[in-house]
Amino acid sequence: MDLLNVENIGYSIGPVHVIENITFTAMKDEFVSIIGPSGCGKSTLLRIIAGLIKPLHGKVLYNGIKVEKPNRDISFVFQDFALLPWLTNIENVKLGLSLFDISEGEKERKAKLLFKKMGLEGFEKAYPNMLSGGMKQRVGLARAIISDPKVLLMDEPFSSLDELTAEALRTDVINMLRSPDIPVSLVIMVTHNVEEAVELSNKVVILSERPSHIKEIKRIELKYPRNKRSKGFAREVDHIYKVLTE
Amino acid sequence: MFNYILQLLVDTSFSWARMFIALGLSILLGLGIGIWAATSRRAEKVIIPIVDILQTLPILAFFPFVIYIIVAAIPGYIGINAAVIFLIITSMLWNIIFGVYESVKELPHEFMELAAIYGMGLKEKLSKIYIPASMPKVMGQSTLSWAIGLFYLVTSEIFSTSSKTYMVKHGIGVALTQLALSGNFSEYIVGILIFIVFVILTRLLFFAPLERYFDKHNMSNIQKTRGIHFVHLTKPRLKLKIPKINMPIKFALGKKRDTYSLSNEVGIKPKRRGYANLVYAALAILFVVAIVSNKTLFSYELSILVALLASFARVWFAFAIILLISVPLSVYLIFFSKRLGAYVLLFQIIASIPATIMLPLIVSLFVKMPFHSEAVAFSVYLLSGIWYVIFSILSQKAYIPQSIYEVKKLFGIKGLHAWKKIYIYAIIPGLITGAVTGIAAEWNASIVAEYFTSSGIGNGAVLTSVSIGIGKLLDLSLDNGNMVLMLLALLNFTIMIIVINRLVWKRLFNRIEDIYK
Repeated sequence: MDLLNVENIGYSIGPVHVIENITFTAMKDEFVSIIGPSGCGKSTLLRIIAGLIKPLHGKVLYNGIKVEKPNRDISFVFQDFALLPWLTNIENVKLGLSLFDISEGEKERKAKLLFKKMGLEGFEKAYPNMLSGGMKQRVGLARAIISDPKVLLMDEPFSSLDELTAEALRTDVINMLRSPDIPVSLVIMVTHNVEEAVELSNKVVILSERPSHIKEIKRIELKYPRNKRSKGFAREVDHIYKVLTE
Repeated sequence: MFNYILQLLVDTSFSWARMFIALGLSILLGLGIGIWAATSRRAEKVIIPIVDILQTLPILAFFPFVIYIIVAAIPGYIGINAAVIFLIITSMLWNIIFGVYESVKELPHEFMELAAIYGMGLKEKLSKIYIPASMPKVMGQSTLSWAIGLFYLVTSEIFSTSSKTYMVKHGIGVALTQLALSGNFSEYIVGILIFIVFVILTRLLFFAPLERYFDKHNMSNIQKTRGIHFVHLTKPRLKLKIPKINMPIKFALGKKRDTYSLSNEVGIKPKRRGYANLVYAALAILFVVAIVSNKTLFSYELSILVALLASFARVWFAFAIILLISVPLSVYLIFFSKRLGAYVLLFQIIASIPATIMLPLIVSLFVKMPFHSEAVAFSVYLLSGIWYVIFSILSQKAYIPQSIYEVKKLFGIKGLHAWKKIYIYAIIPGLITGAVTGIAAEWNASIVAEYFTSSGIGNGAVLTSVSIGIGKLLDLSLDNGNMVLMLLALLNFTIMIIVINRLVWKRLFNRIEDIYK
């Protein structure tokens, strides 16, 4: 069944139409990528899904219920990490539990467990600015999943990192999301990197330039882990490039 | 009926003419000195520390001294006007120098390489690189200079020493003081309204268009993402996403300079610091010996220390109240209000009305109360310092990334939790800058806050006078022509400012700098 319905979303900034009538659905156990040229409003669309921004028209349904403000079940990973520089890494991660009525000790225990799982052990008491970009984004990810969300929204999560770091983190993210003790059942990721979209997702929503509408929704049936040198992979990448540039 | 309004308009115009001349000269001097300090390492070492001390000293204390010299050299009204303009310049100049210095220091290295490749001479470098690069900050600083200048304009148009009173023929400072003291209350209020109208018109017709014009080239604006346009009434910060404390403050705190001077510090530094410490120690011993061995000096020193302590209590009490008002107000405006821009404009106008023109009004409000002089002193300290703190915190908004607001909303961080995890930390760099400049402004006002007479206007009545305080002590020592007491007081005062900067602000600054970097 549909976990998330995006229905007829429109958005404009002043007189400029940014998004026009975007409709798609996402189901349990899907990884959806939203891809499009820069300035097409992909990040805005993701923020509308998160309930951070109100759309001009249309609605977002989660489990059939309208999303109007941020929701415990839906979490978010930022492009620039958005870690508070004045809080230690573990304090930053515990922020993800602000809405939950659990004891400080329990929060600490959950956060420590997650640090271990994500290869962040030993960095609990350090501040974000002492970490490399890749480590910062791990902290950002830990903050997003500590509350056991069902839906994870990611806004270009790898684009602030160098390619080698990004590649390693992508692999880790994929493995982590597939592990049974992480209850995330839907990921929606915004990206401008076609290969990244093909590597990670089983559904790619391809947007046009501004005012953006959906050009195509492409399903990718390749088996995980995906081989970037395979013919199938190249075919999918070529197809998306073609749709994006035509 | 309209005669006196016309008269007030003429008076205000004369005052504004003095202000514009002083501002123009301050900008020229600021460009010259600032560029010099930024391009010559030798000049930098001398100029920057001196300017830094000059901007924390209570300039008002030097007024009569300066007047003597200038009026003696140029007699008549020209001499008096020259003296007033000079005095206003001493209040306007320092932050403009720092603005220029910062702008030139911040220039990308490539610009200098470009100048070298095209073989630019000094004249070309000035007109094509240094001056255009400095102008956005010069304009930003000019608004601040203008506000400080107005504060001193009112008191500098009339001044009296033990033997003689000098005053300009036309000036709103003279007019307002005379009206207030002669009991012409309605005319005094009209005078203040005219003053406020001039402030608003200057803001809208002079500063706003110039700022818009120069801001087009402001490099630090390119990275700004938010829609609110900030006119820096506080000193501007460097262009960084995450808040950083500005350079003048760093110097005030004795912070080591940025990377460009690092190579120079390697090796030589410890030895030189050793010599410097030796010199300081020798001076301190000499100072103590001189004071202990001389009965008069010793009694002076004692009275100065007691006076400093009393003023210290007033200044910091007022500062505590300033914090209680400005922190919640700023947090509300930064995190909740949708009309921050409108509030900033309103505050800028209110902040431009100097506490000094309100002084007669404040005195008359409190005159029947017990401890009315303390109430007056408190009000003047509060009004002198509060805007520095508020504007400094508000300008922090531009350095808070949008994603922090989103994190707050997304994870539902609210109430006390938000105060502890977000608000306080987000405003701290602005708060420290504001505290240093705000407390300096309070100290600067001590000379009018603690003691004020109408001697310039005739009857010489003492309008407000606290029982004891450093401002009063400085005033009285000048009235009596006791230069030794005055200089000793200023010395103590300067030492106290430096000690507080190192012990309080520098430590606070060091603690947060690594985190915010």
